[in-house]
Amino acid sequence: MAMLEVTDLRTYFTTLEGTVQAVDGVSFTVEEGEAMGLAGESGCGKTTAALSIMRLLPSNGYIKTGKIMFNGKNIVTLNAPKLRKTRWKEMSIIFQGAMNALNPVKRVGDQITEPIMLHENVSEAVAIKRTKELFELVGISPDRINEYPHEFSGGMRQRVMIAMALACWPKLIIADEPTTALDVMIQAQILRLLKNLQKELSLGFIMISHDLSVLAETCEKLCIMYAGKIVENGTSIHVFKNPRHPYTRGLVAAFPNIKGVKFMPEPIPGNPPNLIHPPKGCRFYERCKYKIDSCNETEPPLFEIEPGHFVACHLVQKGVI
Amino acid sequence: MTADTDIIKIENLNIWFQMRQGFLKDVISKNLRYAKAVDGISFNIKKGEIFCLVGESGCGKTTTGKGILRLVEPTSGSIIFADDESDPIIKRLLQLAGEKSRKREGTAVVEMEGRRGIDIRKLTKAEMIYARQRIQMIFQDPYESLNPKMTIFDIIAEPLIVNKLSKNEKDKEERVIKALNEAGLRPPEFYMWRYPHQVSGGQRQRVGIAGALVLSPSLLVADEPISMLDVSIRGEILKLMLDLREKKRLSYLFITHDLSVAYVFSDRIGVMYLGRIVEMGPTEMVIKNPKHPYTQALITVVPKPDPTAKEEKIILKGERPDPTNIPNGCRFHPRCPQVLDICKKEQPLNLEVEPGHFVECHLYPGKK
Repeated sequence: MAMLEVTDLRTYFTTLEGTVQAVDGVSFTVEEGEAMGLAGESGCGKTTAALSIMRLLPSNGYIKTGKIMFNGKNIVTLNAPKLRKTRWKEMSIIFQGAMNALNPVKRVGDQITEPIMLHENVSEAVAIKRTKELFELVGISPDRINEYPHEFSGGMRQRVMIAMALACWPKLIIADEPTTALDVMIQAQILRLLKNLQKELSLGFIMISHDLSVLAETCEKLCIMYAGKIVENGTSIHVFKNPRHPYTRGLVAAFPNIKGVKFMPEPIPGNPPNLIHPPKGCRFYERCKYKIDSCNETEPPLFEIEPGHFVACHLVQKGVI
Repeated sequence: MTADTDIIKIENLNIWFQMRQGFLKDVISKNLRYAKAVDGISFNIKKGEIFCLVGESGCGKTTTGKGILRLVEPTSGSIIFADDESDPIIKRLLQLAGEKSRKREGTAVVEMEGRRGIDIRKLTKAEMIYARQRIQMIFQDPYESLNPKMTIFDIIAEPLIVNKLSKNEKDKEERVIKALNEAGLRPPEFYMWRYPHQVSGGQRQRVGIAGALVLSPSLLVADEPISMLDVSIRGEILKLMLDLREKKRLSYLFITHDLSVAYVFSDRIGVMYLGRIVEMGPTEMVIKNPKHPYTQALITVVPKPDPTAKEEKIILKGERPDPTNIPNGCRFHPRCPQVLDICKKEQPLNLEVEPGHFVECHLYPGKK
């Protein structure tokens, strides 16, 4: 059985304008030691999906339906004390802006020892020892545990975030755009670190990014999200070498490859639909260049085009494209 | 003007910021400390060319762009702008710049390849206003660079008001509509009376571009114009910029940290490291045959959209270097994987390794 199994997750937000259907029927699995990438444009629901798994949704967000089975427990129905025991010890999250995610007035060491002491009932000395080990693991000198976040550079701060996510040795780590704010060289350092840790500790790993090329280098499996739904799902090789959904094709063509032929990235014209009143049929209908009228009538289900490669598109299913 | 003439030529440009060390030290001390954001760079941009400056954050690429518009004041060096003399604005500017002024020594007009150019650094404030009609800037973040309290019409009309260019309200409106059309915000009437928050990110960046276009510039400094945008719309903005180059013969100084964008978009690339251009040349040459170890490393770490790519990445140790404390010798030597003894002592000279391809590195001994 998969370590994490998300089935038909629907996460909605109540706003003044109406209910935003941010995540609308998303299913995927993550095995132990497997790295999965969740990609899509901003506003497609990828972060909301991650926050739903952690149950960290803002107060106006709620999980309408769906099951999130994690190590035999359904996260959706867990009560607060049980949830608290699951977070940190079994799964944890690395947030996007390390600058904002760390407490600026507390020493970084204290921010990591605190959860260790709370979750594992160990003495401070043991927790500090572990913090030092964690620092070494992520490539920061252990002498720096008494420094404040502002004394670290952007890349180092992101390393602190990673050390923190590992504090109680969870089995699943969710990384939400962990390198977006970083320079390419630092990004490469952090990605290599994450990949090595994931292999060494055989972590389940969900990486969220808008940058498909980053995911190509770190993940074995990919889910492409569009307007709250998964439109294509398969191994990275499937998605990059044989993208089938028109949106995935567009995304793949939008990334220039420095090692490849020189071509201008192709834009995908138009904007994602309004998720308060999502379209009845295919959500990509408005922007799709292959669309036929019937696409706008029913929602396309995920369809297995080759073993392990799923696409939600009427036209692919019919063999038109 | 022929195709190969330079529109701008920058020579030995320095932009240093004085470091504060305390009041008394600042006033009396003889060894003032400087952050050398830009430390002696030279390059030129030809008419209709896209020249791209790439580098990590803190390497001085944005400071260079701002220096050209004198949004930060360069410390020394020359910035020679030589545009078509038949243009009335340039004509007027040449005339003004040729006159004596209390505010500068001599004249701001210089000879450049048989044409008359204007040394931007020597212009007075009033003359700068003319120069800025032909050199404009597009900023990085369309979410922050547009005033949220102004309508799109007001944002785009503001340069016309500041420069006293519109004869009357009708003329102003026509120019704004023209700029909106050129920036691809069609129909203009639909966008004109909206506020920035009512349009999407890509459209906002188009507003930024329209604001630059309304003065019909000939050189655009584009500072990371697509890095804040979603991937699916980046291509649109790049295409728009290419179209404008075709239609209006615009030249670009394109500033980016993303080498793969530089690769597909630019004609020539300058790779900056700690205030200097360490490698410069035609895009294909620099990307396919990089010479400087820094460029070589940068190219290997750019994420590639190909899960089967098996390439050894050259990941440099350490983080962004400190421009207040530039290493002796070659400034890249502490992080260089191929460092030699000489690198620690002598600054490398700028060598032409193949026609048009320049490198500053001791690995390539040659004619000095």
